Amino acid sequence: MLRGVSTTLSISILSLLLGLAIGLPLAFTRVYGSKLFQILADGYEKVFRGVPELVMMLLFYFGVGYYMPNPFKTAFFTATFALGLRSAANQSQIFRGAIRGIGEEQMVAARSLGLSRLQSIIRVMVPQVFTFSTPGLGSEYALLVKDSSYAFIIGVLEIMEITDRIRKATMDTTIPYLAAAFLYILLTFPIATWLDVWGSRKKKQLGL
Amino acid sequence: MLMECRNLWKTYGKIIAVKDVSLKIRESEIKLIFGPSGSGKSTFLRCLAMLTTPTKGDVFLRGECLTRPDVDLNKARARIGFVFQHIWLFRHLTALGNVELGIRHVLKLPKKESRERAMQALREVGMEQWASHHPAHLSGGQQQRVGIARALAMHPDIVLLDEPTSALDPELTGEVIDTLRDLAREGITMLIVSHEMPFAREVADEMIFFDEGAIIERGSHEHFFTNPESERAKRFMARLIKRTKRE
Repeated sequence: MLRGVSTTLSISILSLLLGLAIGLPLAFTRVYGSKLFQILADGYEKVFRGVPELVMMLLFYFGVGYYMPNPFKTAFFTATFALGLRSAANQSQIFRGAIRGIGEEQMVAARSLGLSRLQSIIRVMVPQVFTFSTPGLGSEYALLVKDSSYAFIIGVLEIMEITDRIRKATMDTTIPYLAAAFLYILLTFPIATWLDVWGSRKKKQLGL
Repeated sequence: MLMECRNLWKTYGKIIAVKDVSLKIRESEIKLIFGPSGSGKSTFLRCLAMLTTPTKGDVFLRGECLTRPDVDLNKARARIGFVFQHIWLFRHLTALGNVELGIRHVLKLPKKESRERAMQALREVGMEQWASHHPAHLSGGQQQRVGIARALAMHPDIVLLDEPTSALDPELTGEVIDTLRDLAREGITMLIVSHEMPFAREVADEMIFFDEGAIIERGSHEHFFTNPESERAKRFMARLIKRTKRE
């Protein structure tokens, strides 16, 4: 069971980071990019937000995964990718809201000093963006933890898969699921709350 | 000529914000723009700083045309200091961090030199003991002094100030005005949008009355207070004097 927890946590955190690495540039592209890139980024968001996670995971494992070199075709990797790429679309939306919250003024002030657009984004916007996206990032993390349970369909040894094995072995159809439910709450709630608290403290510090 | 603009226009669709404005500023000169709100003063200032692209007309900085398409605008903006009405300090940085940012990443001075130069600028506005404070922990007047230091630290050719005191509580404008007076004494070239008339009398070489996006009348402080020529300037001065008396 403990192994299931650590796998669930790994998938969730890795896909959150993957989503961050893609979602942050995506958000800035949608706000400050050229028209063409804005359309591409918008298209990415629409596609990955529109396809159900289950479909995505099966497609990645049995479809795309088939053509991938070895470490990438494992169930663990495809699950992480499927979750991470959708998370990027979600996070892009979260960050876009944050960029609006920071306000165009900060950008104008940075440009007035002679910073380029990219420099202004890196030096002025990015450091503030997390402060403005904490409630959203918290729920995105919780969503990833919960949706990582879909990975059980492709046989990743995470909480759901292990729960299912216990159910089969013990013939008990209630306790294992209750235990799983409890574990999911335990994994989501504290971190999402901590992010929330961190965010509001940070906001106070910036005088917002 | 330090800075010049010729037949500058800025339009947004059918709305004309700046209408055919020409202006010259010499080294160490201080000019003051005033006029009713919504008359395009801020837009004009932003066009000069190339923070918004003028629709028509040219801007020159030390003879170099900034409105040509091949100009590196980042380099040009680094030479033009800008102080904002609503200050707009970087919230995530300390006072020192705010002042240091441009020196470090635009002028690309080494860390130690950047720090020294930023501290020097903070000293000039009397804010060095607040260097490690975030903007949220400073008063409006202190914030604006940091805003001025941020512009000054770049050693710009000219500083443009867009109503630097109008967003502050009345009791806080004094410290900012004192700072500006010091800069005037040091011979820093400034174009200021302001309605602080006693300050204008002290430092401004010329006053420019702006209305509906255009320069209506120009002259000395005395000229505007004794015999403004245009009807619009007369009316505006009457209102201004009445308001000053009431205060």
